[in-house]
Amino acid sequence: MEIIQIKDLHKTYDEGKIEVHAVNGISLTVAEGEFTAIVGPSGSGKTTLLNMIGGLDRPSGGEVIINGTEITKLSSRELINFRLNNIGFVFQSYNLIPVLTAHENVEFIMQLQNKPQTERHKRTIELLESVGLGDKMDVRPRYLSGGQQQRVAVARALASKPRFILADEPTANLDSKATANLLEIMERLNHEEKMTFLFSTHDQRVVNKAHRVITIEDGIVISDVEQQHIVHPSDC
Amino acid sequence: MILAIAWKNIWRNRLRSLIVIAATAIGVAAGTYSASLMFGVATQKINAAISNEVSHIQLHHPRFRENYEIQYTLPEAEKMIRDISRLPEVKSVAARTIITGMMMSAASATGIKINGIDPVVERKTTSLYTKISDTSGAYFGDGLRNPVVISQKLAEKLNVHLKSKLVLRFQSADGSLIEGAFKICGIYRTSNGMFDQLNVFVRQSDLAALLGNAPVHEIVVLLHDNSDIKKVMPVLKQKYPAAEVKDWQELFPELGMLTAMLTTMNYMILGIILAALAFGIVNTMLMIVLERSRELGMLMAVGMNKHKVFRMIMLESILLSLCGGIAGIVISFFLIQLSARTGIDLSAFGQGFEAMGYDPVMYPELRPGFFVGTVIMVIFTGILSSLYPARKALAINPALAVKNE
Repeated sequence: MEIIQIKDLHKTYDEGKIEVHAVNGISLTVAEGEFTAIVGPSGSGKTTLLNMIGGLDRPSGGEVIINGTEITKLSSRELINFRLNNIGFVFQSYNLIPVLTAHENVEFIMQLQNKPQTERHKRTIELLESVGLGDKMDVRPRYLSGGQQQRVAVARALASKPRFILADEPTANLDSKATANLLEIMERLNHEEKMTFLFSTHDQRVVNKAHRVITIEDGIVISDVEQQHIVHPSDC
Repeated sequence: MILAIAWKNIWRNRLRSLIVIAATAIGVAAGTYSASLMFGVATQKINAAISNEVSHIQLHHPRFRENYEIQYTLPEAEKMIRDISRLPEVKSVAARTIITGMMMSAASATGIKINGIDPVVERKTTSLYTKISDTSGAYFGDGLRNPVVISQKLAEKLNVHLKSKLVLRFQSADGSLIEGAFKICGIYRTSNGMFDQLNVFVRQSDLAALLGNAPVHEIVVLLHDNSDIKKVMPVLKQKYPAAEVKDWQELFPELGMLTAMLTTMNYMILGIILAALAFGIVNTMLMIVLERSRELGMLMAVGMNKHKVFRMIMLESILLSLCGGIAGIVISFFLIQLSARTGIDLSAFGQGFEAMGYDPVMYPELRPGFFVGTVIMVIFTGILSSLYPARKALAINPALAVKNE
């Protein structure tokens, strides 16, 4: 089943006299359970594409259909609500709330959804344990390593029970051990819970783990390949 | 949830928040303490006026207070006094003969209001007798013939002292001039310079000897409690339709309005202080929004709606102001407790105060209602101060804010 459908997507920035076509007519679909990487050089349009899929940015043209909903037609208020209930976000810089503990950071999303307290508490514990942070529930982000913070961010992204997770360069600030750890968690969630991941990356280790790799250059898709899982020596 | 996050957020930069809180606390403390001083002064003024001058209720001939003319007396005054005394709310009733006239010494002369009183009854009704110091004689008690109690101000003006002779001259009801020699038996001094400059007190019986009778121009009623006025006034008005029955607020409207006027003024002063403080809070909140734009963008990206973001910024601003406001009220409370017993002595400027009818020793008065009003104003300041920063927060583009550096 297709979760994401993109049809002839355009994004043009007006930089004075010059028009920059950050995304220039991309069409693609992402099915449920995919583990897809979007790669390409800096400025190729990866982040812009992810922002439009995530409803953070409005396209200049084309359609973004998420789970049957044409999100470009939603009002700002509807879009915020749609994001809350359908999309999980993982950012490069973790973006946790520093005054909240790991537990509170994860629970917070469910509070926005007005979930009951018992359900929130139970799910938060399950999620933090599933990312290996069962012993760090009451720790604030500044006392966690980068890898641990990003795992909290993954748990937070999963908290709302989204249809898919969008991750923009999730391993860019992590060392190799933390990267491997995070990838293992993401893969496990993908295998066991059929969670769909769509992420942009420059990291070859992450690309190697992806089932599908979409390469973008100058705002257009230049290749879209399914790949068998290859174990590289660097993964060991 | 939003409240808990807002509370935690204000302690992110402890020093900055404490500076804002301290500034607000000092401003609110200054505003509320000065207000309590003004309220205290007003209460002192009202109490002094009731106690020394007007009592709670007065009855006159309807035309008497126009020009204080001697012929406008209260008929059947004795019966009226007897009947009024029987009311359970009434503490005491005194009758006065009031005549305007001249007072002359060997050195000078001045216009005055002669109050003919029964010293025994008057003692129960007004506390003027307490305003005569030990060295300034007595309240009609030393057996002098035709004794008169005058103020220190008049004594200085006429260059007289205890036991000096004075001549009181006034017009009788038939227009003839009457003169009487009196001897100063006591010199009083109240905090109301205007009252002191005008009023002298003689025995009603001495005036009767000069006039041939003792007309009653004024019946003064002292109640057990100020709040009884509402109960007693309608009774007296109904019972004596031919008389003018007025309470102290009607007799001295400026006194009645004093509290209301001061309350308005104090709220205005506090409003000005809070308006100045609001700029500091706005500045701080703008810095907070600027520093946290990435986080605010993330919150909007993951699904926190604008209403909740707005509410969070507003709550942070309110909590910041409220902490300062409550701290200020606590400081003010202790300052009031500290100075309420001893008072603040402004005797150095006392003459000016007395000339305006105020006591130079001020006793601040705690008014819980004003503190409640202050808290509401502080919350309002917090809300107002948050509007611009919150608008700035809502203008954040989540896509740009969470953009990787």
